[in-house]
Amino acid sequence: MGKKHYVIVSITLGAIAAISAVLIGVTNLVTKDRIIQNEKNRIAAGIKEIFGNNSLISDEEDLKDNGYAYVNYSYTVKANDEFFGYALRTTGSNMYGKISLLVGFGMTYSFSGIYVIINEQTYASTLEDNYLIPLNEGSKELDDVECGATYGAKLVRDMINEASEVILEIWK
Amino acid sequence: MKREKGFTKRNFLKGILAENPLFVSILGTCPALATTKTVEAAIGMGILFTIVLVCSSILVSLLRKIISEEIRTPAYIVIIATFVTIVKMFTNAFLPELYLTLGVFISLIVVNCIVLGRAEAYASKNTVFDSLIDALGMGLGYTLAIITMAVFREILGTGAFSFGKIFTFIPYFKLQIIPKGYEISLFQNPAGAFIVFALILAVIAFIKNRKAELKSNLEKQEKIRKQQEAKMAAESSGGESK
Repeated sequence: MGKKHYVIVSITLGAIAAISAVLIGVTNLVTKDRIIQNEKNRIAAGIKEIFGNNSLISDEEDLKDNGYAYVNYSYTVKANDEFFGYALRTTGSNMYGKISLLVGFGMTYSFSGIYVIINEQTYASTLEDNYLIPLNEGSKELDDVECGATYGAKLVRDMINEASEVILEIWK
Repeated sequence: MKREKGFTKRNFLKGILAENPLFVSILGTCPALATTKTVEAAIGMGILFTIVLVCSSILVSLLRKIISEEIRTPAYIVIIATFVTIVKMFTNAFLPELYLTLGVFISLIVVNCIVLGRAEAYASKNTVFDSLIDALGMGLGYTLAIITMAVFREILGTGAFSFGKIFTFIPYFKLQIIPKGYEISLFQNPAGAFIVFALILAVIAFIKNRKAELKSNLEKQEKIRKQQEAKMAAESSGGESK
């Protein structure tokens, strides 16, 4: 096989990759706004679930540049114009996939609850049924990570622990 | 090239019955076990899978004369990954509940061996139309197979059949089939998925074996009948000659 053959093969593969990139780029343009809006709706729904139906986000702070491993956003929550607490958005991933949570803290730094924004873990439902839901209901301890999706639960535990430390800094 | 009569129909139906990717070829079992907790999730997975399979088969078939032998696999993977990414973005934008329910299993369509298998074994050697029909048949076959599994798992595991949670444009309804407290939650767990899958495969194997047995019995009877006829013919011709 000559040099020409390898050039043709490289051009073919390059062209396929370029067409793919264009298709993905166009799809991104079409869907981007809607995906962002869906995520905002989900965060708003999470705030209502943690703090109650009257609660709203009054302020949002980007914490991505603060060097935290998991926490990336902080939301100030108000209800009927009164300060209600904070919700921290925390995102982590391990070999089983990505998970993004909203961790709520009430007025006395107390843990108010968690809400799942994205759960792309392979054992997503096991993690939710055996760890996240019992944790939210208070029937499971944060450190009791043995649940059939232990690696995911350990990740969630670390994410919540970091959120607890960050909330103290915010409060100060 | 002259086509055999009924080829298109057979090409379409083979994916649903004779060469069903899940129940006959035992391919794509991982998402089949993971996304069959509810019928709604199974329908969602089936639709997304079929879209990826159809689009990638069409493109692979279109480019079959351009893609050379040594770059076949990377080229197919790039094509399949592109369509999976597009489908994932559209699902995230327009069917967010389905996106959240299926989670990582949408991305995992990239490594589903049925998609790459059809690209390699069929689309790369056949016309665009034939590849489209093959992909539609295989996609529908896979969708029906996972829906079958989901029906058993949802009804036995939750005692009810519900719809409208994921496809929110459909009004939500729930039909209680088994009285509350009598459902077997095991069927909602991975072990339940394996049991349902194994039972369906056992039923299919039973039907196949039974068919083969009947066929062999018929063949034996036919053979005996022919032998008897030949014997009688020989006897009668012997009598005549006497």
